Amino acid sequence: MNESPNRRAVIVGFFVLLGIIFFVAGILMVGNLHETFKNKMEVTALFDDVNGLQKGNNVWFSGVKIGTVSNLHFYGKSQVEVLIKIETKARQYIREDAMVKISSDGIIGNKILIIYGGTSAAREIQEGDTLGVEKTFSTEDMINTLQENNKNFLAITNDFKVISKGLVAGEGTIGKLLKDDAVYANINATTASLQLASAKAQELVASLATFSANLNKKGTLANELTTDTLVFKSVKATVFQLQQMADTATAFIANLKKAGTNPNSPIGILLRDETSGARMKETIKNLESSSQKLDEDLKAAQSSFLLKGYFKKQAKADAKAKEVQ
Amino acid sequence: MAIFTNRKYLFSKGIDQYFTGVQRAYSFVSLFFKEAFKRPFHLREVINQSFEVGLKSLPLITLTGFIVGVVFTKQSRPSLEDFGATSWLPSLIGIAIVRALGPLVTALICAGKVGSSIGAELGSMKVTEQIDAMEVSAINPFKYLVVTRVLATTITIPVLSLFCSFVGLFGSYVNVRSEEASSLISFYQSAFSTISFLDIFTSVTKATVYGFTIGIVGAYKGFNAIQGTRGVGKAANQAVVLSMFLIFLEELVIVQISNWIRYF
Amino acid sequence: MDELKQHIIDYNKPVISISGLFKSFGDLHVLKGIDFTLFKGENVAVLGKSGTGKSVLIKIIVGLLKPDKGEVIVLGEHVDKLERKELDALRLRIGFSFQSSALYDSMNVYQNLAFPLIMNVKNLSKNDVDSAVEEVLEAVGLQDKANQLPSDLSGGQRKRIGIARTLILKPEIMLYDEPTSGLDPITSSEIIELINEVQQKYNTSSVIITHDLTCAKNTGNRSAILLDGKFLKVGTFEEVFESDDKQIRAFYNYNFIQ
Repeated sequence: MNESPNRRAVIVGFFVLLGIIFFVAGILMVGNLHETFKNKMEVTALFDDVNGLQKGNNVWFSGVKIGTVSNLHFYGKSQVEVLIKIETKARQYIREDAMVKISSDGIIGNKILIIYGGTSAAREIQEGDTLGVEKTFSTEDMINTLQENNKNFLAITNDFKVISKGLVAGEGTIGKLLKDDAVYANINATTASLQLASAKAQELVASLATFSANLNKKGTLANELTTDTLVFKSVKATVFQLQQMADTATAFIANLKKAGTNPNSPIGILLRDETSGARMKETIKNLESSSQKLDEDLKAAQSSFLLKGYFKKQAKADAKAKEVQ
Repeated sequence: MAIFTNRKYLFSKGIDQYFTGVQRAYSFVSLFFKEAFKRPFHLREVINQSFEVGLKSLPLITLTGFIVGVVFTKQSRPSLEDFGATSWLPSLIGIAIVRALGPLVTALICAGKVGSSIGAELGSMKVTEQIDAMEVSAINPFKYLVVTRVLATTITIPVLSLFCSFVGLFGSYVNVRSEEASSLISFYQSAFSTISFLDIFTSVTKATVYGFTIGIVGAYKGFNAIQGTRGVGKAANQAVVLSMFLIFLEELVIVQISNWIRYF
Repeated sequence: MDELKQHIIDYNKPVISISGLFKSFGDLHVLKGIDFTLFKGENVAVLGKSGTGKSVLIKIIVGLLKPDKGEVIVLGEHVDKLERKELDALRLRIGFSFQSSALYDSMNVYQNLAFPLIMNVKNLSKNDVDSAVEEVLEAVGLQDKANQLPSDLSGGQRKRIGIARTLILKPEIMLYDEPTSGLDPITSSEIIELINEVQQKYNTSSVIITHDLTCAKNTGNRSAILLDGKFLKVGTFEEVFESDDKQIRAFYNYNFIQ
């Protein structure tokens, strides 16, 4: 008799609970659901090093999220095959000759896979295509090279500073210099290597320019630097070296110029010699422009918020040193 | 159908009882919405209860909000210091407190303080037949006791939550101030620079939902207290446990929804 | 006491008539076919052991519980078929005195008494409420307790205030749930006196649920014995207890030998 209302209560309760569970589960899942409903296609890419890329990381094309990394596994001896799920909507924009690289998104960001390039002449990518991979230097690699170059350059410029000082200093030295074939040959060789170094420096400075420009941009290379204190330290060291180098180069150029105005100085003789003179001129030009650029870059680096603290400290130390004096 | 009608229980005794409980809670909540919009509104009692709820929890919320602000700032500082980004501290704390900590801390404290007291009060009224007494005096106890209290918590807890957020930010400022010079105005300005209208709106919505939950759970448990002093204690205890559980569940759902709104 | 009962009982006017009433809670069948009539101006004492469903009976009369089966007509209305509003209107005409008094412990005595009045009667002036409260306090003889909290009152005083709270709405029917339980004999007799005074002064019909024979004897015009969900016997106190029924004798002896 009184069983039926009780039975109804049980049924109502059952469905209410079911409804709540579906509602909550629905809300929590729908966030990812609209993705599930999108049509996807799969392509692959082979990497030597995926830099910590993970399953589920986003895939960008022209800065737009177009898919995710669906899986990674080892391939061959040490390579990693990355399976990429791409929305079919984006397919028409990605060509067969597009490349992929690994980057990261935001400060302390996740790794992302970036698809870039591709020419409209090539056909659209197809299910199962393998995209080309660009070997990207890690920041560490880059910094290491930079440091090596700097050391070399510093050594050379230091040498040259000494020599050029000598040139300015006295005639006695000039006579000695000019009479001594070995020394002359040495100068010539130094000039040649200086030229090489300065050309390299210019290259280096160019890359540094983009580097320091990036430093000021949030969400690019700088992130990696900040996440890795070791790298950050070496950046500091590099910048310090560059600064020293710039100082030396300036001094050197000033010396050379001074020497050039003195008609009796050996520099005149050097300049008269056609081959070495041309080389010398070029070198000086290179040096001048590169040192100027170095200055600019240093300024850029200084204004970057990451290195601000370091430069401030240095300025303080300088000020203190002056006070002591 | 014969199989069904012959059986005494649909599932088993325990499961049937559980679902009956769910149904009871469901009809309790729907009764609230039915009664809340009907006359008489007992406005004076709503105001009384609001004062009760607000004043009762104010000292505790002030203290807790302040401490949460201080501690959270203290704890976040080292990780931001690594990036030399301590200047972001106010924004970080602002977001953390307004979006999450303010409403949550307020709700949890009120669940303990207000929810249990509603559960115990209504529970003891139930046990000592005061609710029946009201009923036979032709006063709808659901309207007079439940609706007023639930409305009171629903109105008061968002206010308390905003207050808690402000106090929390002040606590954070006290810590920031002790580490580096910063004026209160500049602190609040940078704290609020990252907070959007949506954040405030979500925060208030959350607190409103929590307030409703605390009120309705406390009232439900009290109203359905079983006889005896144990029933009262159990009602108060369950009111706290269940409302805290529901608050976290709602937090999850609301954050999910607000994130849709934020990113779409 | 006999003089007090001299008021008119109209045996042609039933105020409560119950027939074929069944009520069970889960597997527990409490009431199994109750037939009962209360006439205007009459006091009926319902006797029975604890847990026999005496309280359930009056809770059904006032609509706190719904019957499973049977007809309950109170003041001409089918209680179980009323809408909330109609039921409330009916309840205003019934006074219910709870076993535990059920005073609102957050309010003082004055507020307890004024509460049903303020809630149910619109546009009352403060003076109206004051005089109504004073009147019922006088009726129960506790004029000086208006500003005390229920927790400061003794059990007997609480019972009185509980009765006063129902009187303030001038009910036609009074339902007493164990009015003397937990009280010492002297206080009990005071309450019994009060019940009779109320019957005279307010011209009410009452159902008095009790297991106290003294109470039943002194308040009830008729007595009814509830046993196993049915009325075993209904009649005047003497009629009922002159019976040779074993169970009734046992009940009688227990009460008076102790």
